[in-house]
Amino acid sequence: MAKLIIKDLYVSVKGTSILRGLNFEMDEGETVALLGPNGHGKSTLIATIMGDPKYSVDGGSITFDGQDVLAMSPDKRSQLGLFLGMQYPAEIPGLNSADFYKAAMNSHREKPMALFQFYRELEKAYKEVGIPFEMNSRNLNEGFSGGEKKRNEILQMRLLKPRIAMLDEIDSGLDVDAINVVSDVINEEHARGAGILVISHYARLLDLVKPTRAAIIINGRIVVSGGPEIIKRVDTEGYEWIKTELGIEVAKEINPAMNQVSIGVCATREAVKNEK
Amino acid sequence: MRSEKILSYIDNLPASLSIDVPEDTKLTLNIASFEKLESSKIVVKVHRDADFEAYMADFSVFQGKIEVLVELLEEGAECNWHLSSMGTKDSKKEFITSVIHSAPHTTASMSNYGIARDESRLIFKGTGTIEKGAVKTNTKQVAKIIVFDPKSDGVASPALVIDDNDVSASHAAVVGRLNEEHLYYLQSRGVSLEEAKRLIASGYLRPIEAGFADENVKNRIDSIIEGGF
Repeated sequence: MAKLIIKDLYVSVKGTSILRGLNFEMDEGETVALLGPNGHGKSTLIATIMGDPKYSVDGGSITFDGQDVLAMSPDKRSQLGLFLGMQYPAEIPGLNSADFYKAAMNSHREKPMALFQFYRELEKAYKEVGIPFEMNSRNLNEGFSGGEKKRNEILQMRLLKPRIAMLDEIDSGLDVDAINVVSDVINEEHARGAGILVISHYARLLDLVKPTRAAIIINGRIVVSGGPEIIKRVDTEGYEWIKTELGIEVAKEINPAMNQVSIGVCATREAVKNEK
Repeated sequence: MRSEKILSYIDNLPASLSIDVPEDTKLTLNIASFEKLESSKIVVKVHRDADFEAYMADFSVFQGKIEVLVELLEEGAECNWHLSSMGTKDSKKEFITSVIHSAPHTTASMSNYGIARDESRLIFKGTGTIEKGAVKTNTKQVAKIIVFDPKSDGVASPALVIDDNDVSASHAAVVGRLNEEHLYYLQSRGVSLEEAKRLIASGYLRPIEAGFADENVKNRIDSIIEGGF
């Protein structure tokens, strides 16, 4: 079984250091919850694993299945079996969703798929994530609602069959029914043998995907890791106990800029308010 | 049934072209330039209840200007202009696509899409003019350019001149660099950087194919887009 191994990782964004000597390991086939207060490095970690060019790696290593992940471009990381379901998937004007999925699936295999087989798999995946098949002819994520974008990420995970699927707040913007649907698909991916690394602020998704392990990132490092009881504790007590029990001062938010994204008029207004 | 006609210029657009679309007819203009293009001025007069549809696919390497002026002279006249242009090497291509609404109940849509690569420069201009008395007209202009390479450049500046109130008019102009976030998103699903660029370009340019009657031309457009970035 392949292992994802992160050693002494230092990452910064626009000169602000976020990850400060982070160590983490997980197996293909394992389900792990990544916890921690906002702005402490959860999203930074998984975006760095995927190769997001916004983040600079200042030190350390990431390997998967013995291969040097940091030396690879994002497409090679995907082909190696890593997948990131993003919190804010990009909207790509003019790019037909189905054309893109076909190109993506073909990039994971030696010979291009037969069109018939592609459409059969596509139709099945649309059904599983609960969005109308007709959406395959729409431009990728363009004009999709928040929930549709999230389901669309899960759809791509299903199509690409990753070895490690990292899911960044994939449940935000989803209603209860949608969370049930999405967690079913995640659980099927896990049953197929994929490792799942999940970030979520809501107990509901974690109740459904049942991680067997949890790790908490504080101040850019993993400070606590253990069994699922940690999830329950964070859900009821927050992160205060880390300070009292472990003597770790929890910085207010080491990376506030990362949470100021504009996803629409309301978010832009929020961002403007925060700047004042 | 009203008469329909197709005019086609494949690598042979003349330096000046005058087109008349008579009452209650439809004319489709197909222009494709794969290798050759020279500066040209196209004037189109559209009469009562006539329909002018134009599709221009341009992949030429050329320095010059294409001017298009469509005059919607009588009630019910309609114009739909579509351009997809790709600038490569040291091309400097300027497209000026204008429409004049001289009569009420006339409709025009001018869409220009471009990709500027290498050291090329693309310029999309044009004016939508609604003359006094041309009420209940509808005019729309879209000009979009993606700038692919550090040394390429694009300018999109459509304009509207409106001399009456009871009209509907809109325009949109976007010039954007190839978005790093978009490329990362596509790459993160396994497609290479080159393939990601090709997919984005294809989404921009390929819709023009639908307007061409000749299968050979469609295939040539396809093979240029597929030809790699």
